[in-house]
Amino acid sequence: MANIMEIQNVSKIYGPLKALQDVSLSVPPGQWLAIMGPSGSGKTTLMNIIGCLDTPSLGEVILDGVRLSSLKPGELTTIRREAIGLIFQQFHLVSYLTALENVMMAQFYHSLVDEGEAMEALERVGLSDRARHLPRQLSGGEQQRVCIARALINHPKLLLADEPTGNLDEINEKLVMDILHKLRGGGSTIVLVTHAPEVAAHADRVIVLEHGKLAEDRLNERGGDAGPLAAAGLAESEGEVGGAKMAS
Amino acid sequence: MFWKMVTGALRRQKSKRLMVALTVGLGVSLATAMLGVMFDVGDKVNQELKTYGANLTVIPRGASLAGDKYRFEGETEDASAGAEDAENYLPEDELYKIKMIFWAFNVVDFAPFLATRLTVGEGPEAREVVFNGTWFNKTLELPTGDKVTTGVMPLKSWWRLEGEPGSDDHFDGVMVGRNLAAELGLGLGSVFTAKDASGARRSMLTRGIIESGGDEDDEIFGTLAFAQAAAGLPGLAQKVEVSALTTPENDLARRAAADPESLSRLEWDAWYCTAYISSIAYQIEEALPGTRVKPVWRVAESEGAIMQKTQLLIVLLTVLTLLCSALAISNLVTANIMERSVEIGLMKALGASNLAVSLLILAETLLVAFLGGFVGYLAGLGLARFIGISVFGSQVVVKTVVIPLAVLMVLLVTLLGSLPALQAILKLKPTEVLHGR
Amino acid sequence: MGAKTALQGNRPFLFRMLASSLVRRRSRLLVALTGIAIGATVLLGLVTLCYDIPRQLSREFRSYGANLAFVPVGGALALDRGLLEKARAFLPQGELVGLTPFRYESVRSRMLPYTAVGTDFTEARKTSPFYRVEGAWPARPGEILVGGDVAERTGLGPGKTMPLDGRNSRRERYDQEFAVVGVVITGGVEDEFVFLSLSDMEAMTGEEGRVDLAEASLSAGKDELERIAGAIKAALPGVDARLVTQVTRSEETVLAKLTSLVYLVTAVVLTLTMICVATTMMTVVLERRREIGLKKALGADNRRVAREFLAEGLCLGIAGGLLGSALGLIFARVVSENVFGRALNPELFLIPLTVLVSALVTVVACLAPVRRAVDVEPALVLRGE
Repeated sequence: MANIMEIQNVSKIYGPLKALQDVSLSVPPGQWLAIMGPSGSGKTTLMNIIGCLDTPSLGEVILDGVRLSSLKPGELTTIRREAIGLIFQQFHLVSYLTALENVMMAQFYHSLVDEGEAMEALERVGLSDRARHLPRQLSGGEQQRVCIARALINHPKLLLADEPTGNLDEINEKLVMDILHKLRGGGSTIVLVTHAPEVAAHADRVIVLEHGKLAEDRLNERGGDAGPLAAAGLAESEGEVGGAKMAS
Repeated sequence: MFWKMVTGALRRQKSKRLMVALTVGLGVSLATAMLGVMFDVGDKVNQELKTYGANLTVIPRGASLAGDKYRFEGETEDASAGAEDAENYLPEDELYKIKMIFWAFNVVDFAPFLATRLTVGEGPEAREVVFNGTWFNKTLELPTGDKVTTGVMPLKSWWRLEGEPGSDDHFDGVMVGRNLAAELGLGLGSVFTAKDASGARRSMLTRGIIESGGDEDDEIFGTLAFAQAAAGLPGLAQKVEVSALTTPENDLARRAAADPESLSRLEWDAWYCTAYISSIAYQIEEALPGTRVKPVWRVAESEGAIMQKTQLLIVLLTVLTLLCSALAISNLVTANIMERSVEIGLMKALGASNLAVSLLILAETLLVAFLGGFVGYLAGLGLARFIGISVFGSQVVVKTVVIPLAVLMVLLVTLLGSLPALQAILKLKPTEVLHGR
Repeated sequence: MGAKTALQGNRPFLFRMLASSLVRRRSRLLVALTGIAIGATVLLGLVTLCYDIPRQLSREFRSYGANLAFVPVGGALALDRGLLEKARAFLPQGELVGLTPFRYESVRSRMLPYTAVGTDFTEARKTSPFYRVEGAWPARPGEILVGGDVAERTGLGPGKTMPLDGRNSRRERYDQEFAVVGVVITGGVEDEFVFLSLSDMEAMTGEEGRVDLAEASLSAGKDELERIAGAIKAALPGVDARLVTQVTRSEETVLAKLTSLVYLVTAVVLTLTMICVATTMMTVVLERRREIGLKKALGADNRRVAREFLAEGLCLGIAGGLLGSALGLIFARVVSENVFGRALNPELFLIPLTVLVSALVTVVACLAPVRRAVDVEPALVLRGE
């Protein structure tokens, strides 16, 4: 199977600042990749480029076999819509829409709204009883789970998470990581940006950026296995998440 | 540090602050222009209404206004027949005193009149015509050293004149009424003769032909000196028409007009020192003893009514405008502050007291508002000027009282607009604002 | 599945999103709505007034008295009353303030000569509102007004009686005693006259139907008056209709200036108010840049995001326009009643126009900030504050 994502000699230059310098990377389907590095190392820039939110100054990104540099802005939007699910550190929920409506909004811009499907997505992240609440009535962890449900609703080939646990306490961090484990178990490709080694430890593969350059690329020892937490208690529900995804 | 934070916020969030400054500027420019126009519109409209002609008539005590124009059958006694009776005339050389009264500045124009009858034509063709002697461009030297030029033409702005107006330097140059000119076959430059009361022949040169739509169309207007010579009344006039800028009548003026004695000392002073038509009339009577000064109510009363209505209209428009700009400004300030809930939450999380936060936000908002307000004030001056020049052809002088009013408005409106938003935001818990979105 | 059906399936959610935005962002919405409503209030209020002001002011100028005079033409010495009634038919009823006949007679009272004027007091009060009457206007037969100068000379006033005598055109003697009920002061020739009702004068002299002069007061401009005068002269050979130039020409100048003052002030106020509406809308939209970024990140294209925002702006514009129209009408009515003492008849077509302009201004004001927000890469907007 071809790589789901291929990055070839990508650089991003903001005036005198080189945010990324000649980074190359390929990610096979089903891999959980963690991008690490100190602040200002270019990890968010790299993620934005992968997520089609930004374009590289030099180099080429191939997503699911499509060369992004050959695309017009409108087509780039289509790729983003079809292939990518985004999870943000600040959640970015629309304040005047309920949890359910926030999920439905992603369907709305993707294709067709389906309230039942959106409800199922919230159920999967354990929020079916909070579906009619507004973001400000939800805790940070709950908001992040809504954000994940929204990212998953259109069955993206690639899930991008930018510091998904950055604003969360330990309990919520664990909840979120459990969900990611289930997803990976179901065969999703995940790219996770974090500066926390303990979060990165969940991934199959870790790359480290320093000053915009790829400084390290290693496979975690447990690479290929389900994560330690998933292996323990969540194995049974794993199939459900993956199954729903695969079926459609 | 406080000011560093204030100026820092200003420098960094330029576009949002610019919006506040712009709105305040617009509001203040509107307010300045409208207040400026409001305070000045009375004077301007007053000046415009002078086109209706004289609003005061000065006549000798004992003479009647009807004069000989309104003679009817059975009433052949001619007022001007008693030529010797100087009691019934006004001395021409004292008329300058009209420009010496307390409200002299409000006397826009005045002109004396002396009517006499001339006989045109011979034998059975002969007919009597009225000759009015008046001033056209008389320059008076006042004892104060000032020079004043006055004459009949501004008093009769509705006349249509063909040719030239009369001139005081041109003794026998006359303006002939349209109907009369047609009847006598006179054109511009025609010379004609007529007999005066004493039977002497006098020749006149037609300098202009007037069309007034009234009795004047059958009369002749010439110099006062000519009329005096023809009537044998050297140095005398029958009446003076005065056009003065007046303040609309109120209760005090009506009471004073009815009976000046009924006023208290204080009221009397107030009346005397206000440009009511009755007080100006009273002052002219003081200056020219032996005269009666009658307000021409057709002009004076209508003037008052129209001025009051126009002023009221502009005042209402101004109030509306002020209200609207105040609402718009406070509206925007509210929006601007509400938008900053996160920033305020952060400041509170860092331990700032409500007071400190409020002061910072208020100082910043006020600073922006005053910058905008200053620019707006200048723009408002320009606007007022523009309105004045394009409507009245003269500048609207923005009174200095507008400045404190504008400043007060900015201050009040900005504060009032800020407070509810501030209060709402301060009530929020920092964690809610920082986490909740 | 065609694009059309997809769109239809999604439409309910679009409305749901719109409704949520409008309902759940109440306080922000109120800000925008207030701004737009203010604009619409000013717009409708001022434009309605502008529509009405020339007419209202023209009515006000009737206080200067009659602007059309009817006089006998050619050799005729007097007008026939029947002729005058025919002339009345030419005057547009809606604009006619009053039509007053005058008949002059030379009379004597206690050996002194006077000019007696027979008129219609009800009409005279309308055509000459500047008459100042001390005492009362005559209401019953046998009651008269004396001019101010007459009163001063003779000591006559309300409560006194005044005998009048004279001869009519048939040289028949008449005399009658009248009750003075008021003193009229105008500052003009009227101060020398004695006023009695036309019917009293006809009864006293035994001569009916004669009128020397009639004055009409019409709230009409010079051109219309000229047209009316021309029509009367052409149709009724016995009557000459003349414009009272002092009144008509002066009114023309002054009214034109006053009207242009109001128009100019309105234009200035409107322009600035619309800019205020625009800045308010811009602020409201600027605040939502993050939301725009998010929608783009979720895969919405620029046009779609812009359309949604503009739809919201349109809703706001229409709502604000309707609200403002109601307030504007109230405002115009209050001004009209306070300034002119008359209710105004609103031009109803101005309401949809106001709503249209409000919607337009709102949408245009949204356009610039939305376009700017849409053009920004979502990553820049989403990267924190």
